[in-house]
Amino acid sequence: MTDKNKKKILVVDDEITVCKSIRQAIVSDEYEIDLALSGEEALKKDEEKKYDLIITDLMMPGISGLDLLKNLKDRKSITRVIMVTGYPTIKTAVQSVKMGAFDYLPKPFTPAELRSLVSRAFKAAVSEEKGEQGIEEAKMPAGLHYMLGHAWIKKEDSGLATVGVVYDFLKSVGIITQVDLPKVSDKVSQGEVCGKVTDAEKFIHRIWSPATGRVVEVNVKLKDDHSLLRKNPYREGWLFRIEPTDLEEDLKGLILSK
Amino acid sequence: MSSDFFGPASHELSPLDKHPKIRYHIGLMPQRTIFKRFLDLPLRIKLTLSFLAVISFGGIVTLFMGTRLEHRTIFDLAQAKVRHDLASAWMVYNERLNDIRDIVRLNSGRESIQKALVLGRKDILHRDLEFVRKDFQLDILTLTDARGKVVFRARQPETDGDDQSKDPLVSRALRREVAVSTQIVPRAELLKEGADLAAKSYLKFIPTEKAAVRPEGHEENGLMLKAAAPLINDQGTLIGVLYGGVLLNQNYDIVDRVKDIVFKGEKYKGKEIGTVTVFQNDLRISTNVTDDQGNRAIGTRVSEEVNQAVLREGKPWIGPAFVVTHWYITAYEPIKDIDAAIIGMLYVGMLEKPYIDIRNSVMLKFASLAALCAVILLVILFFITSTIIDPLRGMVVATNKIAQGDLNHRVDVDFRDEIGRLAHSFNLMTENLKIANEKLLQWGKTLEKRVEERTKELREMQDYLIRSEKLASLGKMAAGIAHEINNPLTSILINTHLLLEKSEKKDPDYENLTLIADETSRCAQIVKGLLEFSRQNPPEKTRSDINELIERTTQLLENQASFQNVKIIKNLDARLPLIEVDKTKIQQVFWNLMLNACAAMPKGGNLTISSRLEDDRKYVEIVFIDAGVGIPRENINRLFDPFFTTKSSGTGLGLAISYGIIQQHDGKIEVKSEVGQGSVFTVKLPVS
Repeated sequence: MTDKNKKKILVVDDEITVCKSIRQAIVSDEYEIDLALSGEEALKKDEEKKYDLIITDLMMPGISGLDLLKNLKDRKSITRVIMVTGYPTIKTAVQSVKMGAFDYLPKPFTPAELRSLVSRAFKAAVSEEKGEQGIEEAKMPAGLHYMLGHAWIKKEDSGLATVGVVYDFLKSVGIITQVDLPKVSDKVSQGEVCGKVTDAEKFIHRIWSPATGRVVEVNVKLKDDHSLLRKNPYREGWLFRIEPTDLEEDLKGLILSK
Repeated sequence: MSSDFFGPASHELSPLDKHPKIRYHIGLMPQRTIFKRFLDLPLRIKLTLSFLAVISFGGIVTLFMGTRLEHRTIFDLAQAKVRHDLASAWMVYNERLNDIRDIVRLNSGRESIQKALVLGRKDILHRDLEFVRKDFQLDILTLTDARGKVVFRARQPETDGDDQSKDPLVSRALRREVAVSTQIVPRAELLKEGADLAAKSYLKFIPTEKAAVRPEGHEENGLMLKAAAPLINDQGTLIGVLYGGVLLNQNYDIVDRVKDIVFKGEKYKGKEIGTVTVFQNDLRISTNVTDDQGNRAIGTRVSEEVNQAVLREGKPWIGPAFVVTHWYITAYEPIKDIDAAIIGMLYVGMLEKPYIDIRNSVMLKFASLAALCAVILLVILFFITSTIIDPLRGMVVATNKIAQGDLNHRVDVDFRDEIGRLAHSFNLMTENLKIANEKLLQWGKTLEKRVEERTKELREMQDYLIRSEKLASLGKMAAGIAHEINNPLTSILINTHLLLEKSEKKDPDYENLTLIADETSRCAQIVKGLLEFSRQNPPEKTRSDINELIERTTQLLENQASFQNVKIIKNLDARLPLIEVDKTKIQQVFWNLMLNACAAMPKGGNLTISSRLEDDRKYVEIVFIDAGVGIPRENINRLFDPFFTTKSSGTGLGLAISYGIIQQHDGKIEVKSEVGQGSVFTVKLPVS
């Protein structure tokens, strides 16, 4: 593959070991990977080279990952950003997705998890280019709150909330071979794994829960028929229902669909 | 004066004196201690003495003034009477004098006597004059011629021819006057008139204490009532003088007569009340004053004082006087002769004794009355003070009894005065003391138990606080640690996985690498658990029905496949009040406890859940009882510690988190367990 076709990736973290490890995990012929040890360095590097993907730590001294993201968005950059977070900052991570990050990756993660996310990121870019947004199923009904490229949540009259995945997520995953859902009475937290989807390439994609609460019901139909997910992600393809702990607070980190 | 008794006046007080305590203790002023000693006397005696002092003072003053008053009046009366009596005495005296005058005068005009005188017929004169003399009890009756030469003495005819013209009365009669008065008759003359008369007049002085000094020691002259009248014939020619008289010396007619008239012979205790005396100068010559033997006290003399006043100064003297043997109320007046010279005294005296005795008897009656009053007063005082002292004594006794522990003792006092009220209050106080004492005893009995309870409470509180602190500090640490650890973990995990990807199962290192990867993931889980634990967001409390929460949780439990062997028995009190709790968190606690219970009974068993309102309505109590393996003693204290677990899986945070949640609700969570028998978990949530 020529240099031109190689995807340009920038890894930003204030710890050199982490940067190197990340690079090691995704090293491939298709990628051209650079390292930066601070937000300032990252900005400088980005000005010189237009990156396709930036993988950055959220909490960094000086210019944080969020600042970097904001900067990029202000410049109307199309670079996709993946936020790497420590757990205390899940809230900010969710916030960053709202701000425009593609996704976030909580530490510690396995190389596989990283690779899945990277591949999704590029797949989404591809499908975006292909302009597949006009499909009916892709349209999200109004009144739903969702995390960009991840899960949606709908407040029900009963006080419960229904959770499902957004179309963009499904698209980035591709063909689903397995769906792992939480069990009833499991506790889910916003920004944390609430379910998994395995694709054809055996990449396991984690679904972040949009809200905190206790699972009271699981969509048993999905067990038998995965296609329901693809066909109707917003209605019959729901994943599970929860009794939310603090829905009002959680919704602040989500985007309301119109 | 007052300062002598009460101590120095206030402006004289030294700084030391002003301190009251020092005053009494040092006893600086001796006068003060006397007063204080008085104050120390028993109440009764103090009162009695005080009253007696007042009465005595009053009594004495009254007595004193009374007697003076009485003395005044009675003696004034007495003296007035004596004066009156003296006047009466004078009347009798003068009557006798006038009698003598009349006889002499009448007989001086008798023809027979005039004829006999002219003719010198002594036999007729003897016959007629002697008859008159004897008849009228004259001591002398003498006829003189016109020149004053004695012609015939009826009493002593042998003596005649002497010249009487110098005699004061005769000389007056020679001038044709009728003269009458009391006269001193010298001894020589008395001898002429009658030798026995001279003998009667001779009186030796009896020594009298208060009398004036008179060196002669005797009296030889006489005192006579005398009258003289001229004989004048028809032609008016003076032919002679007739004079007659009565010798007063040792002649008791007059005095006795006066006494009888004035005093009517009254006697007082055998003694004549009244006395009359005729004095020749200061000598008693006729009296009915008797001496100790009962004889008339003639020969005694009057006191110098009376002598001076009456004989020398010629003034009447009235007052009490000691006469011979007794005190009399006396009156003296001078007897004057024809030349107005004081020749003697007439005395009247009233025995003072009766009056003295009256006065004394009055005083005695007064004093007796006062004494009687004092006695009655003392008796009354005794009874009255008894009403004060006896209750007070009773209270002292009661106090002692109470001090010894007998709280049932009461003072028996019936009256309504201050003492009665004091006793009543005292009794009330004792009653209250008794009640308080009983309460105290009661308290004492339960005290030990209460101390035990309290100690237990405190220990629990302490454990609770320590645990809370531990958790709080742990939480703070957790976030920091987690963040720091995540980076190295990331590197380890990634690189291990990369190694794994490069190797194959059959490689000898494959297993080791897998182990490393797994353990690293486990680290990550622990960190995650830690963070979850530390991220305790504040509870959002809403009014909830606990039973409903229990039902929901048990429903979830029943849905779990692994808990099929467990039978859930519910004893939920339907009357539980709604309480303010965070529904989700409380459910998490219930869930955790139920899971633990099920885990303790792997072969199945009963899980009993009950809810009730505590007796004092302060807490809602939820109890989870399992018949599981039980918890060993040494583990119970550590049960709620974070990361404590006896299971091979799990983070050991479940109970710690539950504990934290209950703590956030100001509740309590307790455990009782027996190995082999099971465990009882009790959750208490406050009713808001």
